[in-house]
Amino acid sequence: MTQDKKNDNATAPRIGVYICHCGGNISDHVDVDAVRRQIERMPGVAVARTNMFMCSDPGQAAIAEDLQNGTVDRVVVASCAPSLHEATFRNAIRRAGANPYIYEHVNIREQVSWVHHGETATAKAADLVAAAAAKAGLLKPLTPIRVPATRHATVIGGGVAGLSAARDLAARGIPVALVEKSSYLGGQLARLDRIAPTGERATDLVRELAGAVLEHPDIAVYTDTQVVGCDGYIGNFKLTLRRQAADALIGAQADDIPPAGIRPTGPSAAERQETALETGAIILATGFRSYQPRRGEYGFGEYAPVLTLPALIEKMARQAHQGPLLQIDGRPIRSVAMIHCVGSRQIPGIHTEDEEGRLNEYCSRTCCTATLNAADRIRREHPGTRVYELYRDIRTYGRGQEDLYEQAARNGVVFLRFEPDQEPRVTAADPDDGFALKIQVTDTLTFGETLDVPADLVVLATGMEPNDVSDLVEMMKLPVGTDRFLLEVHPKLRPVEMPVGGIFVAGTCQAPFDVGETCNAAGAAAVKAAAMLTEGHVELDPFVAEVDTARCQGNGACVEACLNPGALNLVEMQIDGQTVQRARVTPALCLGCGACVAVCPTNAIDVCGMTLRQYEAMVDAIVAGPAAAETV
Amino acid sequence: MTLLSPDFAEELKEFSDDSALACFNCGTCVAICPLIDAHFPRRMIRYVQIGARERILENATELWKCLHCGLCTQTCPREANPGEILLGLKRLIVNHWRKKA
Repeated sequence: MTQDKKNDNATAPRIGVYICHCGGNISDHVDVDAVRRQIERMPGVAVARTNMFMCSDPGQAAIAEDLQNGTVDRVVVASCAPSLHEATFRNAIRRAGANPYIYEHVNIREQVSWVHHGETATAKAADLVAAAAAKAGLLKPLTPIRVPATRHATVIGGGVAGLSAARDLAARGIPVALVEKSSYLGGQLARLDRIAPTGERATDLVRELAGAVLEHPDIAVYTDTQVVGCDGYIGNFKLTLRRQAADALIGAQADDIPPAGIRPTGPSAAERQETALETGAIILATGFRSYQPRRGEYGFGEYAPVLTLPALIEKMARQAHQGPLLQIDGRPIRSVAMIHCVGSRQIPGIHTEDEEGRLNEYCSRTCCTATLNAADRIRREHPGTRVYELYRDIRTYGRGQEDLYEQAARNGVVFLRFEPDQEPRVTAADPDDGFALKIQVTDTLTFGETLDVPADLVVLATGMEPNDVSDLVEMMKLPVGTDRFLLEVHPKLRPVEMPVGGIFVAGTCQAPFDVGETCNAAGAAAVKAAAMLTEGHVELDPFVAEVDTARCQGNGACVEACLNPGALNLVEMQIDGQTVQRARVTPALCLGCGACVAVCPTNAIDVCGMTLRQYEAMVDAIVAGPAAAETV
Repeated sequence: MTLLSPDFAEELKEFSDDSALACFNCGTCVAICPLIDAHFPRRMIRYVQIGARERILENATELWKCLHCGLCTQTCPREANPGEILLGLKRLIVNHWRKKA
């Protein structure tokens, strides 16, 4: 598979090209050996090899060996998408003692073998690899940009995720600002009573977490406060916090401290205050809100005994009583019907969109267990109250949750299952029936028969929606998924990081999580942020604009074209005894987009690692084709 | 349309084991039943589970097909004791007819 070539000129680049089979993913459609034979004839290519899996240890070792014995000093790997393994190979090169930026990645899987077949696939792969090799010959070793980082983190959101993240950061010696929009700590957890499946009290959890946060000397808690401005970059953010005046809180919000919410002591702000804050990292813990059913959705808003599950939990906590029958708002409840998947798993064409035309197509994950928990508790504490659960599917996915499902069944909860296109209908019951409401449901577990379930109370297991953080999304340029939750860089490999450096996510602003999962996410985000800040500096990719001051005439076109204010400026400098204006790049702010390169009349600015000359070489190689090189 | 009776479980307690809610609708009882009759005895167990009192009364004669071989009770993975529930239902039905007469 190998054929080493002697290179006469010691200073000419020695390019190593490594082509991956991807276990057949690539080689079933691309003749990788034919590509290798064509590429190894290209000028500058010292060696071309193939491997079943380049990302495997032997694959990476082959690159390291060639680098260490001097066979190659530039590396091209042709394999999957760079988002998967570009970092893998750069790290392999770094471990072999070479500069990781003498590397070029070619995607011949997603962009070739998965979409083309036969000879055209092989020809396209060869063209792309040839272009990469041509570029690799012009690659220069680069140094990552190092910027100092402010040893301070800001957590936005004072729910269980924010409290948990703030506590963990402070425990690692990082000063923290915790910013909470409402006047209390505890977030949505503060609205709950006993947490499934372990039965702990939400009050205890909130008290412990909020207590640790409020006591810690390195955590500053800002309630009634919002982030209204964000500038800067990783390690060096400048936030503007706005505290609402106390009189703005009088009314609904001031009174609306949920049962387990904790309001920090101290004077309320007399008037609106703005504070500037310098911080090195930001953790978004902005949480969720419970889905609010439309008027008429399962009778919600039309019949008083139709409640959401969070409302039931809050009423049960506030109106605790003993007796064979559950009582809600003073009414004895002989029968409860609980309807699952309200505002979750909505299907286009079946469910009604909200005012903005949106559907929640995702599963909210926590409502099945929360509903079973409430149902089981009613059966245990008020055995005279019958409980019916009307579900589409039950998903009790976490540890201890399936046990709760079984326990609820054993305690007499009756399950009925409906198809999504045959939703239960909630109507007023006939006066003779003696119940407040009846729910008509076509039950697949009773062989498709249509049943009338009598009920004094209907509970809607409402799902989670992300809190509206469009202001932060706009301010910090954050990606949002089609489900409106914040979108991490990679769900498995970088699950708590935003693509914007130095910004992390924790908890239900990212996806529906239960309390335990939320704490896991908060812990992970805190550790990531702490690891970044503990070093005192951060390293950024060096793919940023670079000015050739010999060519720059200081006409300023690049400054006008620049997309990130502050990344490019005109500065005065002395050249040949004359004071002249020249463009200067602030590397930490440069996005590496190349807008400046396109407008410079003198070609005086280039993006490192993606220079115009490198692109020209790529185009030449594609036009000439590797086959042309072969015949020369 | 069948209106469920939330109190049916209480009514049945007098005549039968209170084990119907253990059933999770697997259908083992139907598979093992020598009668090879669609959904027998599972349908009856389901009616008991949800409190479909009217449907049980409508289909009462079906209960007398049962041979009381006990295979369903032996094989039930949830120990819902279907055989005993069927017997209990017969007692309830007889009592119901007696009262009507």
